[in-house]
Amino acid sequence: MSKCKALCLLMILSILLSGCWSKRELNELAIVAALGIDKVDNEFDITVQVVIPGEISSKQPTSGRSPVITYHSKGATVFEAIRKMTTLTARKLYFSHLQIVVLGDELAREGIGKPLDLISRDHEFRNDFDVIVAHDATAEEVLNVLTPIEKVPAIKMLNSLRTSEKTWGTTQSIKIDELINTLNTKETSVVMSAIEIHGDKSVGMEQTNVKKSKSSAVLKYAGLAVFKEDKYIGLLTEDESRSLGFLKDKIESTIETLACPKGGTLSTEITHSKTKIKGKFKNGSPKINVAIDVNQNVGEVECDIDLTKEKSLQYVNKKTAELIKKRIEKTISTVQQSYRVDIFGFGEVLHRTNPKEWKKIKKDWLTIFQELPVKVEVHVNTQGLGTMENSLVNKSEGK
Amino acid sequence: MSISKIADTSQNNDQLYSSLSQNLKLIKNTLGNSNDLVIREITIGKAEKYTLAIIYIDGLSDKISISNAVIDKLMLDIEDHQDTEIEKIIRYLKDSCLTAGDVNDIFHFSALYNSIFNGDTVILLDESSTGIVTSTQGAKDRAVMEPATESVIRGPRESFTETLRTNTALIRRKIKSPNLWIKTRIVGEVTKTEVAVMYINDIANEKIVAEVLARLDRINIDGILEGGYIEDFIQDNKFTIFPTIYNSERPDVIAGELLDGKIAILVDGSPFVLVVPALFTSFLQSAEDYYQHWMISSLVRILRFFGIALALVAPSLYVAITTFHQEMLPTPMLISIASQREGVPFPAVVEALIMEIAFEVLREAGLRMPRTIGPAVSIVGTLVIGQAAVEAGVVSAVMVIIVALTAICSFLFPAYGLSNTVRALRFPLMIVSAIVGLYGLMFGLMIILLHLCSIRTFGVPYLSPFGPLILKDQKDALVLFPRRALLTRPRLISNKNTVRGHKYFNTKKRN
Repeated sequence: MSKCKALCLLMILSILLSGCWSKRELNELAIVAALGIDKVDNEFDITVQVVIPGEISSKQPTSGRSPVITYHSKGATVFEAIRKMTTLTARKLYFSHLQIVVLGDELAREGIGKPLDLISRDHEFRNDFDVIVAHDATAEEVLNVLTPIEKVPAIKMLNSLRTSEKTWGTTQSIKIDELINTLNTKETSVVMSAIEIHGDKSVGMEQTNVKKSKSSAVLKYAGLAVFKEDKYIGLLTEDESRSLGFLKDKIESTIETLACPKGGTLSTEITHSKTKIKGKFKNGSPKINVAIDVNQNVGEVECDIDLTKEKSLQYVNKKTAELIKKRIEKTISTVQQSYRVDIFGFGEVLHRTNPKEWKKIKKDWLTIFQELPVKVEVHVNTQGLGTMENSLVNKSEGK
Repeated sequence: MSISKIADTSQNNDQLYSSLSQNLKLIKNTLGNSNDLVIREITIGKAEKYTLAIIYIDGLSDKISISNAVIDKLMLDIEDHQDTEIEKIIRYLKDSCLTAGDVNDIFHFSALYNSIFNGDTVILLDESSTGIVTSTQGAKDRAVMEPATESVIRGPRESFTETLRTNTALIRRKIKSPNLWIKTRIVGEVTKTEVAVMYINDIANEKIVAEVLARLDRINIDGILEGGYIEDFIQDNKFTIFPTIYNSERPDVIAGELLDGKIAILVDGSPFVLVVPALFTSFLQSAEDYYQHWMISSLVRILRFFGIALALVAPSLYVAITTFHQEMLPTPMLISIASQREGVPFPAVVEALIMEIAFEVLREAGLRMPRTIGPAVSIVGTLVIGQAAVEAGVVSAVMVIIVALTAICSFLFPAYGLSNTVRALRFPLMIVSAIVGLYGLMFGLMIILLHLCSIRTFGVPYLSPFGPLILKDQKDALVLFPRRALLTRPRLISNKNTVRGHKYFNTKKRN
């Protein structure tokens, strides 16, 4: 009998002591899709983009109301501002499904370290959302823009970030935990994708923005934002962003356009790219060798070139390699001279190659970086010509 | 037809009197002058020396055979017998006169009642305290028909009937071995129901056979009307909600189980034959598994395991995830579910309970109601539950999907017994999930698992061959191996004569 009692007690205790009491019905939650942080007069200005599920469900959009709603409030800390928001919102904000965090331009220039603390500390935030910077706009303005197709702008931002990272290479997604890890290492600087608003900002937040086939205001990724420590110092151009992608071995696929020997252009699609960065110390001074191995297919031919010949392919290989190499070298020198921060992670490479030597130069790394000799080698291999051999241009001229 | 072999065991002083009139008077009194008792008094022989009475119950006996094998012989064909000794006359009647298939002597009233209630005819002679029983059983019984509860696409289409003899014959027709033994017990003080225990002598474990018989002997009840009565009396663990005794109305299933070394219990009056010991896996195996290709059967079995899991936890998972662990859902799915939950006035658990109970009510109503109004229930059910409730916003569409899924999954079981268990367990799981989320669900499942591990059925662990894990017996558990790999019988059921066929090896070599 006492055994039975003990068993019952054990069962009851293990249920009650589990501390699993956070029962929330789905219709008591306001699902936050995006969080925007701005800084206005030494106060944090927080914007949240809350999904209105009824407007998104595929059944029938009930009323043409906006599929999301944004709330914002101010506070001395992010946490305070978020809690203050309960005076505005109909339901408790639920952050576990946060897709993306947008940091306002001004805040980013002042430093992003402080506001990120809460979102990485609080248990309700997961750590798999992306962080981006609003270029030339406040986070609030970005979150106010309504987008067609993806009714939730946060999901549109996330999707185009991912898609362009995969097929074009000018954006790089960075998750919150990766961001914080990189901020903690002094040697490597953070780069983050930057988003900007094209068009009329005030129309963007109205439902009419998604009612026309051409939206008045669109969200577009501008490139990569370079940070020095936790401060936003400049935006890389599209070419520079792609070069950075090559150097960080993050290019999955992109397009290269080169000139043909007899005029005209030819585009190739890079299908695979592998970058190996090796560091070397010679008499205490560091050196970097970059070797990039690229596989590509011919994607579009708008010139007179006989692709059936081995020679033409060699030409395409050589030209592409040169193109990539030049661009990367240019990017490196630009970064070395104007930004003066190691966004490529060369410091880490050197650290790994020779920790002892690295210790000696660690203090002056950023000065050394500005003069660091980098040798870039690109090897290109063209594998396919697509579904036809020679261009239509070529054929008609042959007749 | 044979005389029911009920031993004349009664040792009390109920011996037949030697006076016919006294005997008849007592019989009539004992039966309360019930008018289905037929007593025909005749005198036989030209000299009309001997008076005798033919006793049978109208409706239980075959009138044609009574008339042909008994009355005709006694009244028309009998020679005048010179012997005056009553014993010799009885022997003469038994040996040369009565042409029924089986003729026996009885000495006691209890045996007499047993005989007539089983449909036999008793002949009592004046001046003799010995009666003669002739087999004339011929009660109306149902023909062997297609099984109503266990239908198959491929496989035999016969099922047991309510008559014990027919049932034993159906099994014997499948297993034509002298080793197929039948032990009979009479259970029920009033109903005197015949219960037959069938097993294959050199395969089944004698200890389990002895245990079954002993447990049957211990039953002390007025009546047995179906195997379910016995099931409750003989199972090991009286407090388990899981079925520990298998039943089937298909002779091929029973024959297969007998070949595994299991023991069948047939109860007169019920077309469901019990099988012990029954393992958890047997409830997820269908006869048809063995009749079709093993790969197909394996896939179907995996599907069934999946089905049982879904039928058990689908509503609880829904409740737990949508009220505690919203972060586990992919965002688009969460938004979609949330949009359907908009405006639903109940918490998810109440919604789930309402829908599940509504479904159980519909199901129960559909089972018990007269056939002719069956369609009405399904129309009301689909309209009310499926559509109107969602459109009115009382329940969400996802919940309807969950309930429908659960319902369909609970029909996936080849054996009805386990399906009921799962139906019942769903509700406590839903409640713990509503209180503490997935933690509670896991907690509940653990308790169920521990309980399952603790159950034994006639000494055999219920979860074998999974717990304890018997690698050799995995061949016929979650998946089914090809037939040439099924050469041994399940190890824990019986450990003698474990090899199914040696000859197969030889034929394989010859090829």
